[in-house]
Amino acid sequence: MSRMLLSPFVKFLFLEGVEQNQKGEVVSEKQNKYKHRFPSSSLYLLPHISSIFLCNFSLHPPPSISSSLSGPADIDSMATIGHNNLNAKLVLLGDMGAGKSSLVLRFVKGQFLEFQESTIGAAFFSQTLAVNDATVKFEIWDTAGQERYHSLAPMYYRGAAAAIIVYDITSTESFARAKKWVQELQKQGNPNMVMALAGNKADLEDKRKVTAEEARVYAEENGLFFTETSAKTAVNVNDTFYEIAKRLPRAQPAQNPAGMVLVDRPAESSQAASCCS
Amino acid sequence: MFGTQSTRDISFEFQSQIPNWRPSIYTRRANITVKFQDLYGFTVEGNVDDVNVLNEVREKVRQQGRVWWALEANKGANWYLQPQISSISEGIALKSSLKLSALTNTITLKRLIRKGIPPVLRPKVWFSLSGAAKKRSTVPESYYNDLTKAVEGKVTAATRQIDHDLPRTFPGHPWLDTSEGHATLRRVLVGYSFRDSDVGYCQGLNYVAALLLLVMKTEEDAFWMLAVLLENVLVNDCYTNNLSGCHVEQRVFKDLLAKKCPRIAAHLEALEFDVSLVATEWFLCLFSKSLPSETALRVWDVLFNEGAKVLFHVALAIFKMKEEELLLAHQVGDVINILQKTTHHLFDPEELLTVAFDKIGSMTTNTISKQRKKQEPAVMAELDQRLRRLNSLNEDDK
Ligand SMILES: Nc1nc2c(ncn2[C@@H]2O[C@H](COP(=O)(O)OP(=O)(O)OP(=O)(O)O)[C@@H](O)[C@H]2O)c(=O)[nH]1
Ligand SMILES: [Mg+2]
Repeated sequence: MSRMLLSPFVKFLFLEGVEQNQKGEVVSEKQNKYKHRFPSSSLYLLPHISSIFLCNFSLHPPPSISSSLSGPADIDSMATIGHNNLNAKLVLLGDMGAGKSSLVLRFVKGQFLEFQESTIGAAFFSQTLAVNDATVKFEIWDTAGQERYHSLAPMYYRGAAAAIIVYDITSTESFARAKKWVQELQKQGNPNMVMALAGNKADLEDKRKVTAEEARVYAEENGLFFTETSAKTAVNVNDTFYEIAKRLPRAQPAQNPAGMVLVDRPAESSQAASCCS
Repeated sequence: MFGTQSTRDISFEFQSQIPNWRPSIYTRRANITVKFQDLYGFTVEGNVDDVNVLNEVREKVRQQGRVWWALEANKGANWYLQPQISSISEGIALKSSLKLSALTNTITLKRLIRKGIPPVLRPKVWFSLSGAAKKRSTVPESYYNDLTKAVEGKVTAATRQIDHDLPRTFPGHPWLDTSEGHATLRRVLVGYSFRDSDVGYCQGLNYVAALLLLVMKTEEDAFWMLAVLLENVLVNDCYTNNLSGCHVEQRVFKDLLAKKCPRIAAHLEALEFDVSLVATEWFLCLFSKSLPSETALRVWDVLFNEGAKVLFHVALAIFKMKEEELLLAHQVGDVINILQKTTHHLFDPEELLTVAFDKIGSMTTNTISKQRKKQEPAVMAELDQRLRRLNSLNEDDK
C-alpha cells in the first residue's frame, strides 16, 4: 500500500479525528472502500440506504471531498503499522428507543438524528481508536431493542469482547430491562467481557426517572463500568468507547474466548482492498 | 356508515426527478454524487452510473407497461384477475376449454410478473393475486372502518410501541413523514395489532406497512395486504412472540445456501460468519429497508404471486451475485460491506431477479415447506431451552 497515495486523506482524517475528539483518540477510521458515499446530511433522507449496515463512515467529511475519498484506500494500515492492532467485537443491548443506534452514530459519525430509524435485527459498524501504543478496531453490533428480538441476541453477543448496555434515564422500564441484560451476559456471555452500563439521554435532566446514584450502585455491585451519556449532546459518548478500549485485556492469544484476535492488519487490508475495489 | 377512511385515497404523487447528464460530465462521474427522489418518493443518492441505471429502469417500466396494455387489448381488461390455475384445482368446476385458457393465462402471468408489474397496476394486481381481495370479501364491507373506530383511543403496549416508531419509519419521506402519513400508518398498524393480538406490533412491520401504503394508495387496501401477508403469504409466526417463524426461515435459508452456493457457505462458515446476521432483516422487512424501492417492489410483485419461497430466491441471489468477492473476504466486516454495497445499489431489478430465478434454479413451495417442517422442532427446542435458562437466571436472582 502506498503511503504517498494516501497521505492527503490520512492528514485529513487525522485532523478530523482531533476535531472529533479533543483527546485525539480517534486516529483513523476505516475508509469506505466503495464509490458511492452517503454524506452525513443524507442519512436522514435515505430510508433504503441507511439500514442494517451503516458501517465505516468517515468522520463527517465535507461533501465536496467525500467522493474523492473513495477507492481501495485502507487508512487503518497507515495508522497502525508497527503497533498492536486489536480487533474487538462490541455489542450494544438495551430497550427499544434507549438510544443504542444514536450512540453508535455519534461515535462513528459524530452525528445525531432527532428521529433515528428503528433497528431491525441489528446493524453493523466499525470504528478504530488509538489507545496508548495500540489501536483497537471495534466491530460494533447495534441490536434491535424490542422484547421479541431478544431471541436473536445470542447471535450478536456470542464471542463479543465488550458490551454496552444502554438504558434511557427517563424510563425506569428501560433500566429494569438493562439489568436483565446484565444478568444474561454474566451467565451466557464471555467471562472476560468488558461491560459498560450507559444511562443515555442525560440531556433530559428534567424528565429523569433513574438517578445516577441508583445506577452507579448497581453497576458497582456488578462490576460494570458506569457512565451517563447523551447521544444528542455527545457527552461521554467517545469516552465510553475509549474507556472500554482501555479495559480490553491485552496480548490475547490468536484465538481466544474473549473473541479478540490480534491481526496483522496490513496484510489483511491489502486483501480487502483487492477484493472490493 | 362510519367515516370515510376506506375510500380515503392517499394524496401524494411523486415527480421523480432524475437528472439527465450531458456527456461532458461522464469524465468526472466517479466524483459526482447526486441526490434525487425515486418513483416512490425516497431520496436516493448515487453516482452518475446509478442515475443512468435508474433512467434505464424507468424506460423498461414504461415498455413493460406497453406489454401489459397490449395483453389487455388482446385478452380483455382485467384478464389477470381471473381465477388462477391453483384455485381451479381447488375444485372450481370449469369447462376444459376454459381450463386451458386459465392455464395459459397463469403461465403468461407468471412470466409477466417476473418482468414486473407496472406501478399503476400494482394495487389492483397485488390485491387480487395475493388473496387480499378474497380475504376482505369474507367479512362485512365495513370491517376496516368498524375496526379503526372501535380501537380509536385505546392504549396498549403495542400502540405505545407503534407511536414510538411512527416518526422512525423512513424518516424524511415526503409523505410518510408528515402528520397525515403518521396518522395513516398508525391506523393500519394499530388496527392490525387488534386484529391479531399474537402479533400485536412487531418492529419491522412499520416498514412493510409503510411501503404497502405507498403502493396501494388506499389505507384499507394496505391493511388487507398486510393481513394477507402475515396470515397467508409468509410462514406462520414470523412476527409473533419469539419470532419462531423467522428462526425457522433462517435455518432453512442456511441449508439452501449450503446447497445452492456451497463455496460461499463453506467460506463464511470458516469465517464464523452466520448469514442470519444480515439475512434476518431482509426476511423481516421483506427487503424494504435494504433494496432500492423499485427493486424491493419487484421482489414483492413475485412474492405475492409465487409465495414466500421468493424471499429465499432473492436472498440467495444476493450472495450468488457476489460469490467471487465474498470468497476473497477475510473478515466479518468485509463480508457485510460487500453485501451492503450490493443491496443498496441494486437499482436494476432485472439484474437481481435474473440471478434469483435463472441462476439459483427452481425450488418448489412444497420442498420449502418440507424443510420448514424439518427445522421447526429444532427451533422450538432451542427457544424453549433458552427460555428455561433465562428463567433459571431469574430464580438465581431471588
Ligand atoms: N434527547 C435525547 N434523545 C435521544 C438520545 N439518544 C437517542 N435519542 C432519541 O431517542 C430515539 C430512539 O433512539 P435510537 O438510537 O433509535 O434508539 P435504539 O435504542 O437504537 O432503538 P431500537 O433500534 O428501536 O432498539 C431517537 O428518536 C433519538 O433521536 C439522547 O441522548 N438524548
Ligand atoms: Mg436502534
